[in-house]
Amino acid sequence: MSRLWLCFVVVFPMLAGLFAPLVYRKKQEFFRAYLGISVLLNSVLVWLLLFHRPEAGITLFYFTGNLTIAFELDGLGCVFAGLVSFLWPLATLYSFEYMAKEEHEDIFFLFYTMTYGVTLGIALADNFLTMYCFYELLTLVTVPLVMHTLTREAILASRKYLCYSIGGAAFAFIGMIFIILYGSTTDFVLGGVLEPGKIGGKENILLLVYIFTFLGFGVKAAICPFNSWLPQAGVAPTPVTALLHAVAVVKSGAFAAMRVTYYSFGTEFLRGSFAQHFLMVIVMFTILYGCSMALKETHLKRRLAYSTISNLSYILFGVVIMTPLGLGAALTHMVCHAFMKICSFFCAGAIMHQTGRHYIHELDGFARRMPRVFAIFTVSAVALMGAPGLCGFISKWNLAAAAIDSGNVLAWFGIGCLLASALLTAMYMLTIVVRGYFPGEGFDYDSIADVKDPNFRMLLPLLIFAAAMFLLGIHSQPFVDLFMRVAQGSF
Amino acid sequence: MEMILNFPCLCILLTMFSAIISSALNRRWARYLNTFVVTLVGILSAAVLMFTLTSGKSYVYQMGHFPAPFGNEIRFGSLEAGMALFFSVIMLLSLNGGREKIRMEIDPGKEKLYYIMINLLLSSLLALVYTNDIFTAYVFVEINTISACGMIVITEHGRTIEAATRYMIMSLLGSGLFLIGICILYDMTGHLLMEYLYTSISNIMAAGTYRIPMMVAIALIVVGLAIKSALFPFHAWLPDAYGYSTVSSAAMLSSLVSKGYIFLLIKLIYRVIGFEVFFGSRIINVLFVFGLAGMIMGSVSAIRENDIRRMISYSSVAQIGYIYMGFGLGTGAGMVASAFHILSHGATKSLLFVAAVGLTDASGGHKEFDELTGAAYRNRLAGAAFLVGALSMVGIPLFSGFISKLLFAQAAVQSQGKALAALVVLAMSTVLNAIYFMKTVIRIYTPTDKKYEVTAFGYKVSYAITLGCFILLNLLLGLFSQPITNWITQGLTILQ
Amino acid sequence: MNHILLFPIVFPILAGIMLLTVMKYQNRKPLLAYVGTVLGVNALWGLFAMFRVSEGVTVFYLTKSLPIYLKVDTVGRLFASLMVLVWLLGGLFSFEYMKHEKNEQRFYGFYLILCGVLFGLDFSGNLITLYLFYEFMTLTALPLVLHTQTKEAVMAGLKYLFYSFAGAYMALFGVFFIGRYAKTLEFTPGGVIDPSVFRENETLFFVVAMLMILGFSVKAGMFPMHAWLTAAHPAAPGPASAVLSGIIVKGGILALIRVVYEIIGVDFLRGSWVQQWWMILSLLTVFLGSLLAFREPVLKKRLAYSTVSQLSYILFGLSLFEVQAMTGSLLHIIAHVFIKVALFFTAAAIIYMTGCKRVEELRGVAKGMPVTMWCYTIVSLGLIGIPPTSGFISKWYLAEGALHTGIPVFSWLGPVILLLSALLTAGYLLPLSMRGFFPGEGYDAGRFAGKEPPLSMRVPLLIFAGLTLGIGLFPNVFTNILSAAADFLM
Repeated sequence: MSRLWLCFVVVFPMLAGLFAPLVYRKKQEFFRAYLGISVLLNSVLVWLLLFHRPEAGITLFYFTGNLTIAFELDGLGCVFAGLVSFLWPLATLYSFEYMAKEEHEDIFFLFYTMTYGVTLGIALADNFLTMYCFYELLTLVTVPLVMHTLTREAILASRKYLCYSIGGAAFAFIGMIFIILYGSTTDFVLGGVLEPGKIGGKENILLLVYIFTFLGFGVKAAICPFNSWLPQAGVAPTPVTALLHAVAVVKSGAFAAMRVTYYSFGTEFLRGSFAQHFLMVIVMFTILYGCSMALKETHLKRRLAYSTISNLSYILFGVVIMTPLGLGAALTHMVCHAFMKICSFFCAGAIMHQTGRHYIHELDGFARRMPRVFAIFTVSAVALMGAPGLCGFISKWNLAAAAIDSGNVLAWFGIGCLLASALLTAMYMLTIVVRGYFPGEGFDYDSIADVKDPNFRMLLPLLIFAAAMFLLGIHSQPFVDLFMRVAQGSF
Repeated sequence: MEMILNFPCLCILLTMFSAIISSALNRRWARYLNTFVVTLVGILSAAVLMFTLTSGKSYVYQMGHFPAPFGNEIRFGSLEAGMALFFSVIMLLSLNGGREKIRMEIDPGKEKLYYIMINLLLSSLLALVYTNDIFTAYVFVEINTISACGMIVITEHGRTIEAATRYMIMSLLGSGLFLIGICILYDMTGHLLMEYLYTSISNIMAAGTYRIPMMVAIALIVVGLAIKSALFPFHAWLPDAYGYSTVSSAAMLSSLVSKGYIFLLIKLIYRVIGFEVFFGSRIINVLFVFGLAGMIMGSVSAIRENDIRRMISYSSVAQIGYIYMGFGLGTGAGMVASAFHILSHGATKSLLFVAAVGLTDASGGHKEFDELTGAAYRNRLAGAAFLVGALSMVGIPLFSGFISKLLFAQAAVQSQGKALAALVVLAMSTVLNAIYFMKTVIRIYTPTDKKYEVTAFGYKVSYAITLGCFILLNLLLGLFSQPITNWITQGLTILQ
Repeated sequence: MNHILLFPIVFPILAGIMLLTVMKYQNRKPLLAYVGTVLGVNALWGLFAMFRVSEGVTVFYLTKSLPIYLKVDTVGRLFASLMVLVWLLGGLFSFEYMKHEKNEQRFYGFYLILCGVLFGLDFSGNLITLYLFYEFMTLTALPLVLHTQTKEAVMAGLKYLFYSFAGAYMALFGVFFIGRYAKTLEFTPGGVIDPSVFRENETLFFVVAMLMILGFSVKAGMFPMHAWLTAAHPAAPGPASAVLSGIIVKGGILALIRVVYEIIGVDFLRGSWVQQWWMILSLLTVFLGSLLAFREPVLKKRLAYSTVSQLSYILFGLSLFEVQAMTGSLLHIIAHVFIKVALFFTAAAIIYMTGCKRVEELRGVAKGMPVTMWCYTIVSLGLIGIPPTSGFISKWYLAEGALHTGIPVFSWLGPVILLLSALLTAGYLLPLSMRGFFPGEGYDAGRFAGKEPPLSMRVPLLIFAGLTLGIGLFPNVFTNILSAAADFLM
């Protein structure tokens, strides 16, 4: 396909979003049809692009010096773009139903649809500057979504989110400057672009800068100690928390970390350095920290948010292994976690939407009244724990295999962390499930007589995600092969 | 083309004479004259800019009949012409944007005086930009101070009088130091014209005699100008002066007056002190440290502020810190970055001031954040403009602030041993900027049920046009920075 | 053709899921008929399939290096046969017992699913398949544990879950490393790791082996991770505690046999610190379990502690890496299944008929329920190890195996502790019989009158008691097969 389509898929949702308030009328159907068709069309285009990749990238314009805004679809971008464009239409369908109860639907969909384009921009970015631009833009277009309810809590949360994200980007910016000056190009090239001739004796500074950059992008991926925005941002409507704070936004952070590590600084340069060890320790700590906090949390969405924190660090753990296998494993978990977490969030959203209950102790006995939602929630819980046969196991297996294969003893401890975290995951997820199914002796089911399963608009995405979890769990080979090829640069 | 060479001098004279003529006119005509003159200066400067850019050379224009080294000279290259254009554009926009406020806040009998001050300010700025004579520079520094004081005090608000007094004292301290510096230089070299000073100084430095007195003189000049341009910790006068004066004054003070001094400093560095001498001295380390401190402390003070105007003022302290940090890096790239930041900060800060006044007026004139809740819905354009300004200040790509950040960072990496400190502080400062600007943005975009009396001010066409122009200017600087940096680099090269 | 191995796994799982989701039974009769049919058909088919098919079947690949692979061997057949037997009789028993519990449909749903999962566990032909079914065994057994939904049961269920997963993940750590270094994950007697590779990374492999042993033995209730067992088993409804204590815990044992004998290989471990620690821990558990059982007043808890102790007999036998001890272990697996299921059935029958839970309440119980108590006494003797019961044979083999090994200290310490523990076993099991038959002065004779449980409860009890005696009387049938299997594994 023509390279112009690369631009189109990024710009189109942004424009479609901008026009959303104009289309907004009393008649909901028209508005929804407009949004649905726009999003679906864009997703179809993205998938067409994935299968007919343009030969070369496209440069939009020259920024300053040799810095350009340019798009290209490489392997890593394919994975992320494919993931995002698969999830977005489903999430949109879900949010139609969810947002029917909320106010300012038009404003919500304005930013929701724009975010689609911005996220694709990150996926398709061909060089550091483009990615950085869209990364900042992502922060800006998602803040109104966090703020949506306009409660005091929401405003504080969005403020925090904004400051954290922009702060993180500010540190990532340092990395960009160094890549501009010490790299042969700012384009993303697998293996890194640093020029050995230019580095000359500044290895340590560069490693320090790498740490800054990684942590800077890590803010969006909620790496400890920069994670506190994520649970707080859970005040946003659930489609936002689910899609953005479990997939698009946080994965953008992880994706950026991959780009920085494998495509800019280069693993050859980083492997075995103090930077790798330092980051690995932080990531391992985050894995355990997220889980422990999740266990402590009694608010359903916040618990899932903490779980996200921990799982994102699985991805980052894969990244800091700094081998092609590690990148492949990180990608596997990126995709698998997307399905698992969006699914569990949507279940939580369905519960909140149907009953308005937020806390776990309020969910006693719900499984009987919402059997479908709870069954799917159970599946996602079991998948998150990493039981074989579901997708969580595949990614854990790949992560562990990569860690062992790297021969890095610290990474072996990382496997221990993964497993400890899996145990904690079992604890915090299954206690919810057990509560739902086994509310206790003599539980009065009449007290929750009003609770019932949502309609198909909410259930359909859930079913698709659950099916995807199974599919990835028992037939992962083509996917994993693809990720490994991406990681080796042969895709 | 000879004609064009007269334009710079003509501009200065035009503005000075219009100040004198204004005193004989009524306030309406004074306003018209002022607008006309500023526009004309802009057009003339643009012509000069085009001319110098195409020729790529700089020109010396002899004033009166005495040739150098005795006479007085004007010298202009592309950088000077560009700065003159930029100053006049910002001035025009600031005045236009705050026109209604001027009418409301200033006693009608004194409005004429205000325009006289403006004309004087412009003339002194132009003179600072163009002059080739260091003593002339001093003279216009003083004129600049006086007109700036007048602009502050004109609202006759208790706080502004106090602020003007403070500003006066600090400013005079600065110009005093500057004057002493000039005296010492004159004593040692016997010259006032810049080329000759430059030659003498490099001879003296090469010879090794009088090295310390020379350094003292340079230090005095630099510190004097630094005080006048409100480098941390000499910024105490700034929040009150910017925060309580009328909005046009605030916008011009922050984007023109202090920038005029900074531009003068750049000129002195290149044309008098000499690039190598200056960067070889320890002064730049001092500037670097104060610059960094300013970047942090300015923002910290801004975070603590509960008044939107004062918050923006404190942000200026931080931004001035950026510029001095650029000087302190001691590289050509750092100077380019600083020069670019003069433009980008000038464009952004005046935008913020003008937008802020739209927001406060939509909130019953309150400047506290509590009252500003939802202001962006009451005055949508001002809200959007403030958003643009804030994003630019935080350094979001596509806006001008990002480019200056980029240039500063690149310059920092090239510098010797200062890279990491500069970059980390840059990042921290970005975080701090984000904290207070984004807090404000979120605040003004939070709807509220509270009703405010809608003033007509926010919906004036001229105000809207002004904001539109400011936003455009910002995007222009952000998106098409390459020609601008090229121009600055070229201008700095021919400055020597 | 070989894919018929899948049938006994998939069929009950689907049937169970149907029962849980789609079907709505108003009456008990059709429900029981459904469950009975499924169990019966599945048992027949399962037995048919496992004795018919001996080649392996690769079902599909989880990911490139992880095939789901089914293969039946002697050990698998042994475990599967035991499971089928217990499941059928347990089903029969529960038809009566579950009358006084709610949510029968859910119970049977998971009962069926668990049957399929256990078939899968027993049929699994490589480590990953084993691990997969192992995890799902943990998960699907959970609803049985917390069936009664009392606070106690829920807490016990969660405890069970978390201990099990802690163990499973410790084992998974090992699985990861094995997956990296092994040639294949398929079970091969003697291990799948290249000796040279093993020698290079000896410490690593020892750590891995120890972690896997510790991890899988959580299910088998080995000290220090035994606490879940004594909480979970008593909390479940009677038939469920029987199958939990009889079969589910054997899942851990099966996994250990597979890992130690067919993945890592005993030759590598013999004489290492791993073996020593395993022996120490299992002997400690044997003794401690008995001791705690001795002090426990509640009957079902006492039986659960007894399970802890008895399972470690098996573990001790496994840890010796010796053919005879191994035979003893395998035999004890059989013996323990029958005995422990029978014991729990007794406890369940008593609770069902009388509601009594504590041992001291049961004075004179045998007057009212003579058949039940006779069965109880016979199997108790079996557990203590008094000839001519199965327990005697298995312990004999175990002790002899231990003496054979010639490992310093343990070769004699093991049998001594086994003996001590047998004494304690007598101490905690027999008082019930004695008090039951000989209540002494001043007991209320009418209390237990006519409390003999119905036929469907008595039949399983009688069958198990009979089997216990049968093995003891004709041990050669079993020992021949089992020692051949043990030989094969070495």
